[in-house]
Amino acid sequence: METMEQAVHQKRSWTTRLDAKKKRIDSVKGLVNGRVIPTDRIVEVMEKLIRPGDRVVLEGNNQKQASFLSGALAQTNPKNLFDLHMIMSSISRPEHLDLFERGIANKVDFAYAGPQSLRIAQMLEDGKLTMGEIHTYVELYGRLFVDLIPSVALVAADKADRQGNLYTGPNTEETPTLVEAAAFRDGIVIAQVNELADELPRVDIPGSWIDYIVVADEPYELEPLFTRDPRHITDIQILQAMMVIRGIYEKHEVQSLNHGIGYNTAAIELLLPTYGESLGLKGKICKHWALNPHPTLIPAIESGWVDSVHCFGGEVGMEKYVASRRDVFFTGRDGSLRSNRTLCQMAGQYAVDLFIGSTLQMDQDGNSSTVTRGRLAGYGGAPNMGHNPGGRRHSTPAWLNMMSSNDSLARGKKLVVQVVETFQAGNKPVFVESLDAIDVKKDTGLATAPVMIYGDDVTHIVTEEGIAYLYKTDSMEKRREAVAAVAGVTPVGLGHISKKTESLRREGLIALPEDLNIRRTDAKRSLLAAKSVEEIVQWSDGLYEPPAKFRSW
Amino acid sequence: MKISFLFPGQGSQKPGMLTDLPAGDPVHKVIASANETLNESVYKHHSKEALYSTKSVQISMLTAGVGAFKSFEAAGVNPDFVAGHSVGAFGAAVAAGVIDYRDALKAVRFRGELMERIYPRGYGMGVVLGMDENMLKSIVRQYYEETNPVFISNKNAPDQITLSGALPGIQRILDVARQNGARCASFLNVSTPSHCPLLSSVSEELFEMLRDIPFYRPLIPYAGNRGARLLFDPVDIRQDLAESVSSAVQWHDASTILYENGTRLFIEMPSGNVLSRLAAKAFPEARVISVAENGFDDCVFIARRERLKS
Repeated sequence: METMEQAVHQKRSWTTRLDAKKKRIDSVKGLVNGRVIPTDRIVEVMEKLIRPGDRVVLEGNNQKQASFLSGALAQTNPKNLFDLHMIMSSISRPEHLDLFERGIANKVDFAYAGPQSLRIAQMLEDGKLTMGEIHTYVELYGRLFVDLIPSVALVAADKADRQGNLYTGPNTEETPTLVEAAAFRDGIVIAQVNELADELPRVDIPGSWIDYIVVADEPYELEPLFTRDPRHITDIQILQAMMVIRGIYEKHEVQSLNHGIGYNTAAIELLLPTYGESLGLKGKICKHWALNPHPTLIPAIESGWVDSVHCFGGEVGMEKYVASRRDVFFTGRDGSLRSNRTLCQMAGQYAVDLFIGSTLQMDQDGNSSTVTRGRLAGYGGAPNMGHNPGGRRHSTPAWLNMMSSNDSLARGKKLVVQVVETFQAGNKPVFVESLDAIDVKKDTGLATAPVMIYGDDVTHIVTEEGIAYLYKTDSMEKRREAVAAVAGVTPVGLGHISKKTESLRREGLIALPEDLNIRRTDAKRSLLAAKSVEEIVQWSDGLYEPPAKFRSW
Repeated sequence: MKISFLFPGQGSQKPGMLTDLPAGDPVHKVIASANETLNESVYKHHSKEALYSTKSVQISMLTAGVGAFKSFEAAGVNPDFVAGHSVGAFGAAVAAGVIDYRDALKAVRFRGELMERIYPRGYGMGVVLGMDENMLKSIVRQYYEETNPVFISNKNAPDQITLSGALPGIQRILDVARQNGARCASFLNVSTPSHCPLLSSVSEELFEMLRDIPFYRPLIPYAGNRGARLLFDPVDIRQDLAESVSSAVQWHDASTILYENGTRLFIEMPSGNVLSRLAAKAFPEARVISVAENGFDDCVFIARRERLKS
């Protein structure tokens, strides 16, 4: 017995990961100053700290980009560094794919690739990259702790001190999650920062999780992705917003929610202080939000509608406003926003009553997708939030309201709402007989079709025709009838027999604007609490500072 | 911030176009070398009458594109990427340093002659607006007849797709497309069914001809017509130039690849604004200008300023 134990102990070391890490750290001793990598030596240092075949998580989420580190990685020599397995929530910068073009990396796992969706599809077809999976955000973050544990994490922050403590300001986003997955499994963490400071406004990530910092030659890239200029909101979108407020938020008493980034949801935000107020709904609906700091939410916040907002990330221009509204937003001692993409995605998945978003295509069963043939775009945050977490236990009025049986074990449901116009720009029908996602699956050999939101999770569809209350349907046939009834003159809608509209209305499976006491002629832009970015700035008391491209004055 | 130069193809010509080129030495040199190579004045090819001929159009388009490119080069404005639509691809190849202008000129003259010789009547092209590719494809599949062949050819935008083939076949597809919700479906004023398999013999002869001229490694990437890939190998570019005339031009994808690779300023070479209109619609976040609309000097000014930003 004793000899056997000894034999086992001799056979195996339990610190191989740590030993390997120490070796890598030793290999750059002469190149770094403590934890600081000199800016001009980053490529050389990366070639030593990263090894061929490593799993590298590169921070590129849909807002903040570790652009200095991704640029440096793309400059490494593919003779020294090759076969990397990249893990990125968002593939959005040209050099992200240059890594594969140059042979530095060969495999990728990701969530979103919208800005590079044609290139990645071509490279997959040309055999230049091997596809892992297209994930939802929460799944990708989860796998970082299970079977995609990174060897190296490359992340971005605003400031660091010499001990490696990081300050991310409002854009904490997914940095803590990525760092945690690498740091606590003896991976190597390199953070690019805009500046090295003696004292940080607050510590977002402790220095003991960080191995190296490097001052970037220019600040990390940050895009204002969640700003919608109210000037582009149309009367149809206002009509849909009125239907949503009356026929869904009021009807089901929706108190906590997430909104997509489209103009139709921006319209809802801007109608709360006007149309919502006129219905006496303040304090009854839309109190708690899992949402980025949308500028279009400012009028509702200023009018006292909003109790709390937790954010995935920041939004350019909203920094001062958020810091001045501490009662509403999550903020640090320094005053600025604290965001966290992982936690907010989880909140949006499990803790809110409702998700509402838009899509480019929907089939007769309510499955929706934003992929186009020949493109590989992946998903945004919609699939996590746009699904009903079956294991949810806590109840709220809206959730209970979705119960459609008297069974003693009956459960409620998350409200998942898709709001679309029946045709997109360019005369393309939104309601189609078959999703492009199915062709994309065939073309690319994906294991599953990249459906964004599954039809069985969708509880409501809103079009310019009316609302379909899918959660109430008790058969597939009824469900299809309800979808077709609001699908207009698209291929799906043309199958609808107008005689059926009356019975569907009577059964409450669909509602037309008149059923909700909404006159189509009342849906006018004059209802918007702010009709331009300039008016949003006025609502904010000048605290919102829109980026140049949104300034028209 | 990256800059792409776009070289337009047939359809963008206009009478007198070569006299509208930027003043100065670079254009003089291009014109002189055209005259010498053609053994006649290149100006013979840009008159209203001459432009009825495909050959003259191709000679004029190439010369205008290269003349403007050389002028930009002399002004210190160099692109990061190039792409050209159909015959425009030859101008793009010259700009990428893949072939010499004189060789390109001989090639497009030959290409034009071949195109004129084949299918003298009864064939042409049409365009369908406001209908996506899948739907148009299924219509073509359903209504295809051996006797009047018709093919989907260029994809200029997701909702702007051309048809090439026999006139009665095209007519039929245009009618059906209109009945099925296309916003507009009409014939193009072209007598050659370009960019479809009916022209494969032209590709073969052109390929043989291109084998005899030197091709060099590109100095900057060239986006191909057929596969919409960035091409780095002269052999691939030669094949693209030869085969483009009998294959669909994936223009929307080719310009998308330039955008995804970081292009935020597109400049269209003369003459015309077809490609810049398409780019402006496809990429609202990019700056899109053309020598024809903005003038050469403004294009240089804007390009220099954008370069300073990056």
